[in-house]
Amino acid sequence: MSITVLGVNHRTAPLEVRERFAHAPREVPLALERVLAAGARGGVLLSTCNRTEFYLAEPEEAVPEAVWALLSERLGGGRSAVEYGYSQRDRDAVRHLYRVSAGLDSMILGESQIQGQVREAWEMSKAQAGPVLHRLFQSALLVGARVRSETGLGTGAASAPSAAVAVAAKIFTELAGRSALILGAGDMAELAATCLVSEGVRVTLVANRTYERARAIAEELHARALPLDEAWDHFADADIVLCSTAAPHAVVTWDRVAPAVARRGGRPLCILDLAVPRDVEPAVAQLENVFLYDIDDLQAVAAQAAAGRRRDIPAAEHIVSEEVERFWAWYGGLVVVPVLKEFRERMDRVRAAELERVLRRLPHLSPDDRGELEHFSQALLNKFLHQPTIALKEAAQAGRGYGLLEALKRLFGLERHDGP
Amino acid sequence: MVLVPHLIALGLYALATALVVAPFAGLRPASRAVTLGVALAGIGAHLVGVAQLAPFRGVAPTLSLLALFLVLLQVVNEAAFRASAVGLFTGPLATGLIGLALLIGLAPEVAFPSARGPWSVLHITVSVLGLAMLALAFIAAALYLLQFRELKTKRFGQVFRLFPPLERLDQLNHLSLVLGFPTVTLGVLLGFGVRYAGGASVDAAQVVWGMLTWLVLGWAVGVRVVRHWAGRRAAFASIASFAAVLLVYLALKLTAPGTQRFL
Repeated sequence: MSITVLGVNHRTAPLEVRERFAHAPREVPLALERVLAAGARGGVLLSTCNRTEFYLAEPEEAVPEAVWALLSERLGGGRSAVEYGYSQRDRDAVRHLYRVSAGLDSMILGESQIQGQVREAWEMSKAQAGPVLHRLFQSALLVGARVRSETGLGTGAASAPSAAVAVAAKIFTELAGRSALILGAGDMAELAATCLVSEGVRVTLVANRTYERARAIAEELHARALPLDEAWDHFADADIVLCSTAAPHAVVTWDRVAPAVARRGGRPLCILDLAVPRDVEPAVAQLENVFLYDIDDLQAVAAQAAAGRRRDIPAAEHIVSEEVERFWAWYGGLVVVPVLKEFRERMDRVRAAELERVLRRLPHLSPDDRGELEHFSQALLNKFLHQPTIALKEAAQAGRGYGLLEALKRLFGLERHDGP
Repeated sequence: MVLVPHLIALGLYALATALVVAPFAGLRPASRAVTLGVALAGIGAHLVGVAQLAPFRGVAPTLSLLALFLVLLQVVNEAAFRASAVGLFTGPLATGLIGLALLIGLAPEVAFPSARGPWSVLHITVSVLGLAMLALAFIAAALYLLQFRELKTKRFGQVFRLFPPLERLDQLNHLSLVLGFPTVTLGVLLGFGVRYAGGASVDAAQVVWGMLTWLVLGWAVGVRVVRHWAGRRAAFASIASFAAVLLVYLALKLTAPGTQRFL
């Protein structure tokens, strides 16, 4: 009986390694099939940009080798994936998944995206998960939700792109349906734009000094591309402007955008300047109803949220520990059930055989007396089995059932029962 | 039986206010259901008390009615706009108004004949509801300016985290002002009708100052609706108009005490 997790994450492997391990949804069933063929009763593959983890139920000895072989193949160049990997067993594996789901193991502490990724992994692997992992992932999602509702671990925006969203959300009633203009083609702006799009913001225009690059990003975001010099007029319509050009000086100046801002009729404009050096002249913030934030401002918001989240780590870990014990009690009980069933059946067969032998020797007994004797033998058996059954169940729920189970199996010659 | 429901309402409003203030003091926020439940329980008790105060003659009954409308509007606002921070103002204000009413004494003053009929009760109720709406517009405008300053100066403190978005506060201000102005107007017209129907004259100073206040309020609504002011300018206009209402009331109270008015 065991649950094992084998994998790599952002702590053990650099990005260029992690991205080789990442599995597309269509690859998941095949990868699991291959690992399960090495001998395991269930498996779930959790693959995100920050981690690739195989959760396995009852893996046999050959399974870790199969996992590392599969990952090493993806790594290529004759390198071994083991050097980037880790493995955890039993309670530690359960704790690991619960911490992952709660965001305690994330690169950005408490981030909520992982909750959805755990759910997707479970749904994609449902056919191969088996009952134990099914229950484990179901409970992991509940643990994640509990941690987020009972602690402040998920509150605030703990990264610069999510801080950009948080700031915009403090200006506009709804972000859904707002229009955004992107200036420049920096990675940070693209990331922040993705965050905004996930909140329902429509990126309508992408402007860049190099038109081709603008067009490439615009196509990804279903927006229109235009040269940077044509962007200023659009400050009159956009609700959010994301700036991330590689210009060595401010490109968004008062003179360029003030006429367009004046035509907004008092509607607020949120400008998020993610470029270093800054793209937007500080004087632009003086324009009425213009809210300008640079990367330092957003990082200040993120740092505040991260500090608040760190304060809640002990509370979150406490919830995780509580839930690990709850799961383990269920799991322990699950393993005991078939062994106890077989133990009871074995004893009952002995009782029935002995009773039949006695009854053959006492043919003069009336049907009532025979019934009485049958009842007596049942009661005696129940009395004998009561205490061991209770003790075994309690020990299993407390996580101390293995020794007793093994002893029971050996003493009474029971068949091997390693799991549900 | 007027006192007990008011005392219960006072306690529940104070509790609801504490629940709204708690997150600003760094405490874990209570759920919306709990905060709303406490406020609604307070409203229930308050309704029982207020029903016995008709025809609302005198300062104390009117203050109690005003407190009731403020909390009712807060609950509506919470449901429609989710601007809980408005409770930072409406909560203490309503609690204070009930406390003041209790201190003054809730027994209705002796009403002149025309002030006893249903039209008078309607006049007072509509006028107080209009006042409560204007007060809500004022509160939304004040919160808007606080959040505006927080966002412009990039402080990212409790106000930034716990206040609603700027646009929502602007919408709340707009709606409260646009609904409050005609409500107050209707209340005033009903008041004139009640007075003239009862054969009582209206003090000239009251008419002049009242008209002036109405014009200031009309201006604040006009710039929003006709000239499409929004944001900070509209917030200032809303605050100015409500300040005008308060100043005129205080001026009339000081210069012409005892004149027949419900407040």
